[in-house]
Amino acid sequence: MVEGNTLSGKLGKFIIYFIVISLGLVCLLPLWNIVAISFSSGEAVAANLVGLKPINFSTRAYEMIMEDAQFWRSFAISVQRVVLALALNLILIVLMAYPLSKTKQKFKSRNVYMNIIIFAMLFNGGLIPTFIVIRSLNLLDTIWVLVLPGAVPIFSVILIMNFFVGVPKSLEEAAIIDGASPLQILIRVYIPVSLPALATVALFSIVGGWNDFMTGLIYMTQVSNYPIMTYIQSLTIDIAELVRSGANSDALQNIAEVSNRNLNAAKIVVSTIPLLVIYPFLQKYFVTGIVVGSVKE
Amino acid sequence: MIANSFKKYSLLFLLFILFGLLAGCVQSSSDDGETTTEDGKTIINIGRMTSANPKFPEGDTYEDNAYTRLVEEKLDVEIRNAFEAEGEDYERQVALAISAGDLPDMMVVGSRDELQDLVDNDLVEDLTDVYEENASDHIREIYNTYDNKPLTDATFDDRLMAIPSTNGANAPQIVWVRSDWLKELNIELDADEDGVITLDELAEVASAFVENDPGDSGNPVGIPMAPYLNAGDYGGSAFTMNSIAAVFDGHPRKHLVEEDGSVTYGSTSEGTKEGLAVLHDWFEQGILDPQFGTRSFDDILTLLTNGQAGITTGPWHLPDWGLSTVREMDGEAEFAAYALGDENGMVNVFREDPTGSFVVIRKGYEHPELAIQMLNLFYGELGNEPDMETKYPEIAEYNQLGVDGTARPMNIEVYRSDSSIVNYQDVKSVIDGEMSVDDIISAGLRSNTTSVLEYLEDPENATTANWSTYHSRMLGWGLMNKLAEEDRFNWIEPAYVGTTPTMEQKGANLLKMEEEDFIKIITGAEPVDYFDTFVEKWHSQGGDDEVAEVEEELAKQE
Repeated sequence: MVEGNTLSGKLGKFIIYFIVISLGLVCLLPLWNIVAISFSSGEAVAANLVGLKPINFSTRAYEMIMEDAQFWRSFAISVQRVVLALALNLILIVLMAYPLSKTKQKFKSRNVYMNIIIFAMLFNGGLIPTFIVIRSLNLLDTIWVLVLPGAVPIFSVILIMNFFVGVPKSLEEAAIIDGASPLQILIRVYIPVSLPALATVALFSIVGGWNDFMTGLIYMTQVSNYPIMTYIQSLTIDIAELVRSGANSDALQNIAEVSNRNLNAAKIVVSTIPLLVIYPFLQKYFVTGIVVGSVKE
Repeated sequence: MIANSFKKYSLLFLLFILFGLLAGCVQSSSDDGETTTEDGKTIINIGRMTSANPKFPEGDTYEDNAYTRLVEEKLDVEIRNAFEAEGEDYERQVALAISAGDLPDMMVVGSRDELQDLVDNDLVEDLTDVYEENASDHIREIYNTYDNKPLTDATFDDRLMAIPSTNGANAPQIVWVRSDWLKELNIELDADEDGVITLDELAEVASAFVENDPGDSGNPVGIPMAPYLNAGDYGGSAFTMNSIAAVFDGHPRKHLVEEDGSVTYGSTSEGTKEGLAVLHDWFEQGILDPQFGTRSFDDILTLLTNGQAGITTGPWHLPDWGLSTVREMDGEAEFAAYALGDENGMVNVFREDPTGSFVVIRKGYEHPELAIQMLNLFYGELGNEPDMETKYPEIAEYNQLGVDGTARPMNIEVYRSDSSIVNYQDVKSVIDGEMSVDDIISAGLRSNTTSVLEYLEDPENATTANWSTYHSRMLGWGLMNKLAEEDRFNWIEPAYVGTTPTMEQKGANLLKMEEEDFIKIITGAEPVDYFDTFVEKWHSQGGDDEVAEVEEELAKQE
């Protein structure tokens, strides 16, 4: 560790602060630029004049988003999907991870299940077979197509399972002595001590669900059923590509109206707000060493 | 204890809600095999290509809008959307539908190759008889202006397997020059007012713009060009060199038939080499953007918008969606439209493939005639109704709002091959007071004309939309009309416009090599004679096979 008062210590501190602040700025400035672009007028953005402060302050882009009924419909679909997926994910992850965290002696076919889920994590049926399955289940265009195919995130199951393995055996034994059933042990003992890990997988689920646009693109056949990221993706068109593929003039004109950098920036800002709001609420669970002190060795 | 049981119940409650939602959310699929509704309407399931900005009035959707209601009323049909998607996503949905063996009753496919696949696999309905029985005279006349080439393209073994769209974009790539800057610098360009300028004249203007910086940008760049340099078709020709190569009768990225009947690829022609040599000279003189090669499409728009550049090349509709930001930024901005002429003052223009996309009907669909009836309705009746406001008030409102063409359940372009020039003459007659706006038949053109009139009343304070319409219609179409009247067009006929197997496999690599080598030649990384090396490479790396395949295809067509 660098000591406080010597010259080399000060220099060291300076270098550390310098690096940390530069890295922070590298992350922050592009975001800030997007915010500035979203509050500038369209022509200033087209002329590439916007840096860190908005030029010709304008809220037109946000007004256009407010007026767009589909944007809010998609927003609601995404919220609904994230809530459902989060609830379902957490329940299924915990229910699956708990038995798998037991040893082979206690749970004889544990390895069979482990192999199956690892196989399923590494290989899948491919786009078209999956699409046909989803279609045959009549899931196309329902909210469930956004939730059910990813209901058991294997990676998160393994993460939680390993966390459960690390929970001291004595806690469980104490609960058994107190007469707790396995379900009670899971709910009263394992879940409370695993909150940091559960918060992590919850965050995976929320961020993953919110940012995913591909599922919506493939399984939603109507634009009105698109979740927010799919909708934004469909609005953000590279006009250069469109021009090169030779679209007609009226179509180009309509696209140029919605797909300019100004409006795209505003869409990005609006769509990141929910994640920014959620993060602080989850942060309090990211406390390490919650098991520390629960057992005296 | 109370707290604990509360927790337990809340978990149960949550599960309860989850399953409640599950039950409530399962919808019946729209495509459940019905062919008629309860009240006897025929059902047609359509794969719909959508736009990111359809501009529907409140409450209207792709499944329920003025056009679908019109079809429902006129043809007693209920339209259901099998899927909606735009651009590439539409292609994906079509591919998924084909692989799942569940084609919609009607959909659009983008290319003849795709259509060929569908025909070979016997997936689409034969439309020969229904077209003969139902097609209106007006529709037949439109196809006739292309010598029925689109219909031939959709015909396999003498059977019409699809409804073709038309593509009449036969126009020169236009050179757009800031006319307010020309005035400011007292430059007289195109003194004889024939709309045709030479490369030298253009170079002079560009160097004047670079020297004097009329845009006060501090860093003028001359003529910017997109790094891909050449477009495959007219609509994509913004910021490309197509018109410069055309001066030397070079037609990059097109297949041409030589006099002796052999096929050549335009990018390897002598004319293209000369065009590149001109651009290389310009680059050396500093009148081509010094950062050419690294500027993206958006960067070039930026250069034009902030006044660093005042010359660009592009299609006639560039002002509608590209140059409009220039005027937003600078209220004084005005452009003039010119065509580049060769040494004899002729404008060499490549004739576009007259066929665009195709509408197909699923094999076994019971009412294939609906496709032709929709075609008649949208492109015959609606296009020629003088009194839209009373007969089709909803559609008239859509035209006013600028609702996207994708709102039509059948979204293809079907218009006369000479439509730009005919349209220009109508607008011009109205401006000259020879006819009134109401005499114009097409609703879209009526609204264009009104915009132009509004712009002319007060050009300085006109809206940007009116400014754009004036530039694209009066200057863009106007130039085409002028050149046609003076008989200055030298039309080059395409040899072949499809995709051969080699193009599919090696086309992307060949094109990449072409683009990279052209940039090297222009920037001087390689001498101009390196072009001959490029031609050799092109031939040996698959170009020869490509040409042979095209020749074979052409022999088959004869």
